Formats: sequence, C-alpha cells, structure tokens
Amino acid sequence: MAAILEPYIYEGGVHQHTLITELLEDLGGYLIQKVPAATEVTLVMLIPRDDVHLIEALGTKLLGKLTRAPLTGTEIAVVSPTLASHHLPHSACDVAEFMRRGGANTNMIGLARGMGRRVSLSDNYERKLINEHDLAVFSFGTFSDCIKNKKPKLLEGVTIPKIVTGGPLDVKTEDVENADLYVGGVGRVAHRMRKSGELSALDILLENVVKVVEKMREDLAKDPLAVLPARVMKEIHEQIPEIFDVFSPAPVTLQLDGLRVKLPYEEFHEKVENLEFDEGVRLSDMADVTLSKMKNYILIKIKRESEVGFTA
Amino acid sequence: MEALETFVVESPVQSEGDAYKSIVADIITELVLGGSIGRIKVIVRPEESLYLMAVILRGSQPRVKVSDMASVDISNHLKKEITISVEQEKYLPELLEKLWAKYGRAKVYQPERKTLIMTAQDVDAEKKFLADMVVADPQSTLQSRLVEMAIRATPEGFRVRYHSMDGHRFVFAASEDILKPEWIQEARDLAEELMEGE
Repeated sequence: MAAILEPYIYEGGVHQHTLITELLEDLGGYLIQKVPAATEVTLVMLIPRDDVHLIEALGTKLLGKLTRAPLTGTEIAVVSPTLASHHLPHSACDVAEFMRRGGANTNMIGLARGMGRRVSLSDNYERKLINEHDLAVFSFGTFSDCIKNKKPKLLEGVTIPKIVTGGPLDVKTEDVENADLYVGGVGRVAHRMRKSGELSALDILLENVVKVVEKMREDLAKDPLAVLPARVMKEIHEQIPEIFDVFSPAPVTLQLDGLRVKLPYEEFHEKVENLEFDEGVRLSDMADVTLSKMKNYILIKIKRESEVGFTA
Repeated sequence: MEALETFVVESPVQSEGDAYKSIVADIITELVLGGSIGRIKVIVRPEESLYLMAVILRGSQPRVKVSDMASVDISNHLKKEITISVEQEKYLPELLEKLWAKYGRAKVYQPERKTLIMTAQDVDAEKKFLADMVVADPQSTLQSRLVEMAIRATPEGFRVRYHSMDGHRFVFAASEDILKPEWIQEARDLAEELMEGE
C-alpha cells in the first residue's frame, strides 16, 4: 500500500530550494509544479503524510513557508458567460486566483454565446471541454432572477460537479437547477476584488470548493485509481524528455482521476500509451489516452481498480 | 449642476440595484466621466430583460492647454532652449504626439519623464505659442466615451439598443428582445424627470 500523500505548497527563496526537491524525492513524494519568479520560488508538491515535518523543518531553516494546499492535483474550469469586458477580467480571474492559492490548476473558459437570458447557449464542444476538468465554477452575475430562471441552462450537459457563483446571498443551492452548490457574494464587479467583504466571499467559495473536492477524493478512495496521477507524471518526466521543452507553466497537469499532457497528440500519444511501470505494465493497460478538446493536447483518464483488477 | 449630484440605480430587488450601482460607478471612473455627468438614473428590470439609462451632462469642460498642465520657460537664451516641465502627467502622451509632429521626434529632447526641451529661433514667440497650444479636448471624446459607458454598463446579452443624444441629454435603452416603444418613452421620461431639478 502506497504512503498517503498530503498536498502542500512551499513558498521561499530560490537559494538552496533544490534541497527541498531532493529531500522530497528521497521521501517518495512528488513535485507537481515549480514556479520560479525572480528570487522566489513556489513549489507545489505531494508529501508522504508521515514525513511532512521533515520538509517543514528544512523549509523553516531556509526561511520559507509550507502551507497545506487542499486543491493540489485538481484542474478546475472557471467558466464565464463570455470573454467580453463585462465578465472578465474581474471576479472570474479573482476566483481563479483563489483556486490557484488552494493549489489547483485553473483554466478560464469563456463561452461563445453564454451572455444574456433567453439567448444564452452553450455549445457541445464547450460542454465536452468543461467535462475534461475535475470541477467547474460558473459565474452567473448579479441578478437572482437570471441565476434562478435563465442561466442554469448553461449547466445542462456538464457532468462534473458544478459550483455556481453569483451576487445575491439569499439564493439557495436548490433554487439553481442542476447546480451542485451555490455560493453568493461573488457577482459581477468592474474592479479587482479587494474589499474585505469581497475577499471573505472568495474565501468562503474556496472553502466550499475544498469540501466538494474532499468529497470527490473520498468517493475516489472507495474504488481507487489503478495508478496515482502523480506517479504517471513522474514516469512521463523520466521516459518522455520532450516534456521539458514545453513552455506551458504546467506541462503535465494533474487531475483527480487523470492528467493533461501538453504535447501534440499525433506525435506523442503512442509514447504516452507505452509508458512502462516497474510492475511490468503499460499505461494503456490502466488508462484511456485520448485527444483533449484543449488544443491538441493529450488527455489521460485513469481507470479504477475494479475495472483493471490491480493497482500499480 | 454638481458632478454626479443624482446617481440612482433602481432594480426590483434593491440590493441588486445597489450591486449594479457599484458596477456603473466603476465604469464611470474607468472612463473618466465623473466630471462630465451631472445626473444619472438607471433602471434594470431583469425579468423583462430591460436596461434603461438617462444621463444629464454638465456644461462643457474647458480645453486643456499646455499652460494648464505644465510650465513653459526659456531655460537657456544662448542655446535658445525652451523647457516644458510637466505637472499633470496624464496629458503627456498627447503633448508628446503634438510636439513630435511639430518638431520631429529627434528634436524633442526628454532627459527625464517630466522634462521636455526644444530649441527655436524666436524663443519668446515660441514660448507663447507653446503655452497656448491645446493638448486635449475632453468634449470631443465625451460622446464616444458615453456610448462606451452605456455598452459596458448594460448586461452583455442586451444587444438590441436605442440611444439618443440631444444637447445635454443622453437617453439609452437596451434589451435582448425587440424594444417596445413604451420602454423608449420610459427612458425619455427618466431624462425629463432628471431635468426637472434645473
């Protein structure tokens, strides 16, 4: 049985930060993402539960900060009705920012025709793209009438958990058809959210998203994945060196039940399918490798233990 | 008329109207319209997919001359140099455009952000000319900014629009359905109502 991994974010100086990554490797943890910014570095990682104190001690010695990041290893879609200045950048980008602080990787999705009431629509392609994520956060604006009566049609056909945000605080989750959760206080604004009320609304949103993700993790634990996404990522790093030439901030993006690999599908899907594991199995035995709806990336969805019959 | 002496946003649910007021206020700030708008009233009725707005503009704003935003001095009589020391940086791009067009880019020397040095044959005449040169005319851009504001403030799906500009009165209506004549009349009445305070 593999060690239980806990998600953490380390923020500190670039100087000697490799000591942390080396220790992490020795402990059997995984480095999910490394974001260097001038003299600072942010490390998103999965650490074996029993060894967190070791990393914490080293981090403190290096004058860095280790915080738990419960959304690590999730890919969240932040969906706004369109990409026009009415809906972006404010509030939607702030929502994404808070999700990232929780450790998630976020994608902003602006629908082509999501604006309006009677006229709002979502496209089949858009729904499929949203369904590739672990979870979607929709922003539905200021008016309770729109949130309750008109906008929920955008949620139809989206099979992943859907969290709806809007301005009014008195709307209940049951009022929003098809939504898994409604969080108020995050409506349309034309400025960056920085007042205390706005920030606490975003905090509440983050808390609620964390709860939903914890629930999804619990469900997943009942019938675990055939292989951990983080382990697949490690194998990709070792067996497909071209991944290091990708300039995206997260060349391999982890999801709760899969990964998105930002390499062209035509060229690399066979290499990904043929990834070898120590147990003598290939990735294609344990996962579906498909063309992602996002650019021509590769999407891996890992099968469950009950389907495959073993765990790697 | 004071700037923004009346600023009302009405909606069937008043808390939503207040939230919308903050949106409109932000857009007014963004487009630097605060000084130009005297009174504004907005009505949003989401159930009917309707957005109405009436704006009464204040008297025209004066043009901005170089002497309003900077000081112009003859800094060196021998070298025939004129120095413009910029005090209000917000008009600097417009000023540079004009100076470059007149003197040529290489001949406008800018040793640091707020100092511009030019040379001229007749420095006294040139100094007077520069001090009186018009840098910006807020009035000419006002109408386009007003339309921009209306479009940004309206919910995005409301793409059937009506607007009219009559002197100081700006009337705007938007919906996602065909506009009913009574809605446009309501918007006009809004403007009338705002004018009554005169």
